[in-house]
Amino acid sequence: MPKTKTNLEERIAEASYVCGRCGSCRNVCPVYQEIKWESSSPRGKITLAKDVFLKHKHNKMTEFYTQRLLECTLCGKCEEICAAGIHTRGLWLDLRESLRETGRLHPNFRHLGEQIATTHNISATANEYRLDWTDDLDDFEVPQSKDGSEVAYFVGCVSSFYPQLADIPQSIVKILEQAPVKYTVLGGEEWCCGFPLISAGMSGEAQELARHNIEKVRALRVKTLITGCASCFHTWSQEYPLLLGKSKQDLGFEVLHVTEYFARLLQEKRLMPAGLSETVTYHDPCDLGRNSGVYEDPRVILQAIPGLDYVEMFHNRELADCCGGGGNLQMVDSGLSQAIAGRRVRAAVETGASILVSACQQCVQTLRDAARKEKLALEVMDVTELLWQVLDHETGGERNE
Amino acid sequence: MEVFLKEIFGSRMTTDPFELEQYTKDIAYIPPILVRLLAKPWPRAVVQAEESREIACLMQWAFQKRIPVTVRGGGSSAYFNSVPVQEGIVLDMNHMQGVGAVHMAGKAEEPAVWVQAGTTWYDADERLRRQGYTLRSYPTSAPAATVGGWISLGGFGIGSIRYGPLREQILGVRAVTAGGEIAEVDNPGLKSEAEASAGGGGLCFDDFFGMEGTRAVITEAHLTVRPFPEKEAHRVLAFRDVRPTGRMIQELGQVSSVFNVHFSSPTFVAALHKKGYASELPQERYCLAVDLAGRQTEVEEALRTIRREVQVLGGEVLATEAGEAEWISRFKALRLKQTWPSLQAAELLLPVEHFAAFEEALTKLAKQKHTVVVTYAHLVSPETVLLMVLFPSDELNTLRYLGDLSFISRIYALGKLYGGKPYIIGLWNTSYLSDIYTSKELKRRWERKQRLDRPNILNPGKAYKAPFFLSRSVFRLGMGFLGMLCPFVRAGRESDA
Repeated sequence: MPKTKTNLEERIAEASYVCGRCGSCRNVCPVYQEIKWESSSPRGKITLAKDVFLKHKHNKMTEFYTQRLLECTLCGKCEEICAAGIHTRGLWLDLRESLRETGRLHPNFRHLGEQIATTHNISATANEYRLDWTDDLDDFEVPQSKDGSEVAYFVGCVSSFYPQLADIPQSIVKILEQAPVKYTVLGGEEWCCGFPLISAGMSGEAQELARHNIEKVRALRVKTLITGCASCFHTWSQEYPLLLGKSKQDLGFEVLHVTEYFARLLQEKRLMPAGLSETVTYHDPCDLGRNSGVYEDPRVILQAIPGLDYVEMFHNRELADCCGGGGNLQMVDSGLSQAIAGRRVRAAVETGASILVSACQQCVQTLRDAARKEKLALEVMDVTELLWQVLDHETGGERNE
Repeated sequence: MEVFLKEIFGSRMTTDPFELEQYTKDIAYIPPILVRLLAKPWPRAVVQAEESREIACLMQWAFQKRIPVTVRGGGSSAYFNSVPVQEGIVLDMNHMQGVGAVHMAGKAEEPAVWVQAGTTWYDADERLRRQGYTLRSYPTSAPAATVGGWISLGGFGIGSIRYGPLREQILGVRAVTAGGEIAEVDNPGLKSEAEASAGGGGLCFDDFFGMEGTRAVITEAHLTVRPFPEKEAHRVLAFRDVRPTGRMIQELGQVSSVFNVHFSSPTFVAALHKKGYASELPQERYCLAVDLAGRQTEVEEALRTIRREVQVLGGEVLATEAGEAEWISRFKALRLKQTWPSLQAAELLLPVEHFAAFEEALTKLAKQKHTVVVTYAHLVSPETVLLMVLFPSDELNTLRYLGDLSFISRIYALGKLYGGKPYIIGLWNTSYLSDIYTSKELKRRWERKQRLDRPNILNPGKAYKAPFFLSRSVFRLGMGFLGMLCPFVRAGRESDA
């Protein structure tokens, strides 16, 4: 359903009325854990929303109000623990939409919107350079918009345009080649999935991107769309159906996170990992785990690696802590984002792991920076990077061509 | 004031009205007209303490200047316990978090741990689990309530039926007195002579429990804890009538492995069903969620005993999944607000033998008043249930909300007939002080408060004396008047039912 101003305000008012101000959400909130003032807690923010939208005290929409609403990673942990069962993540998104409706869009969000409208990606680089990360791949050519493919790989903006993360998409296509899988990428036809716009409160602008991407993938007549980006996956699997008022089945192809797909290939013995003698822990990306329900597949992959000593962080799965990189927080307060990330990498070190693995480029980037800043002896990598490193490249899997 | 507070607390001090407003409320909505009449809830500043020395400095200064200090933990109670009534300073304890290492202590050489007062019970339990231990009892608001907060409110909740009131599980408390002295006070019943500290500041162990932060600022508690039980089991028992339910609750109080007993009225279950929750619970039944913990043989024996008793009383034991589901959602009673976003409530301690009779009388009263009441309860000792009675109201309709307030006094009056009393006092229940304490006890309480806090700066206006508008006679008159509003707003009530 399109978010009209009226139903937006009604939804916010209804949700805020349900809040009992019990405060169960406070201590699990990564932002409150850092700021520690009541107004930074989910309870505090809902109290503000209640005043504005239920009690119509519009004079309370101050600059500070706006700031507090944007100090959120959209991790959804508050929703997990909410004693009143409020769909808080939806509420935070609605509140961001309301900021935009009332002309309070954060300047960095406005800039982001303009950027995506111009280049169709989150960077200033022209979209035709989306496949620059393939330049280092000498052994094979990555197929682009290839008809007759079984799988389309949606790379995502972060993997495509951040050279420091190029290892992730490279690992993914190398694994697809080794399995082997008939796959294709969309190249310049891939547009930003729209997740950063939805997070900014600009879901209207995301609709055009959604329509474009769906049309291009449908044209390839693939059975499966995979993506290594947790946020792209969340957007494709959860938000596109909502944005377009359709069901997931209407897309015409299945949408999988790359960890779901690779776990399937491992089960079919199309991939054969060799051993690794390291202690590894896993960080659940909020958009893959709590917000999309994929918890087991990344663990299945890690636990399939012989010799790998797998340990869980104390807060895992539904109760995993955020890496600090979500909700466009870095655009609003990068220091706050880093502080949250610092907490998470310290928790990883507490497990005794030497490698912290995640399944999201944004998480990997944020946590890698944090580990470096904290000077921790902790290697941070994507599960696909690790999988590629340990695959038996001589024998591959039991080829199933 | 600002300069002094800034010097101690730095950026952990604020006088910004945007922030202060958040500290003028707790979980209950009170119409502004009443708040204005009875309290000055806006603090002049909020400070966040990180260590006892800071609190000591604050209290010495406040004591000298006669400035009220209200201590705030989770802010998850409903009686203004942690909201200022006379302005002053709010002391936010949420920075003081941490759980020490489990060690053996006390006369009985039990596992114990020091926990900082601003730690939530949920976090404390999580951190204990990493050491292979778990809490003996905790509040149903564990994710929000702090260790200091629950001690201050008396400490009845999940696990109380097994381990007794919180007072019996604490070896000692570290605190700061009203005058700013840092003190450590031991539980004379649990500490050995060799371990017992001399105490300080004239405080005794009873100055903390249920005293609502009026005698000292709790900074740390020495909790006894338990190793993980060998076996846990969760079951739901369902009955058609309230009388056998009441008898079953009494029986459960005698079963040694029982860790928790939670009662849900049929109306409570129906309200959850309306929004798709608690589908494992049957309609139109009184439900008891029973949680057992202990050695495997004991738990199994307890389960057999319970099954026999349920059969005798004509109830049924639901599938195991129902018990597991109820246990998982034990902190989620507020889902009720999805059905009725605006609720009013009364919270009572009631003798278990009168529980069923009270529940019947309450249902009749609700019918007379054309409203619906939902109740849930915990068995907190073999003799006592802690009962929460809620009914729908509408805070967007001030007239109706005010009218509904009179119904709370009717519920407490009914509770009194059955030997019950309000659980927490705070500001709003000061009218019931004489129902809770004898006049001698009240006098003794006040004398003790004066001895420890002569200028009455620690959380003034709560727990000891009612302000004029809440004094017995004025309150009765007020409630009578508000009760007269009810017929005018009956239509709203009937639609809720």
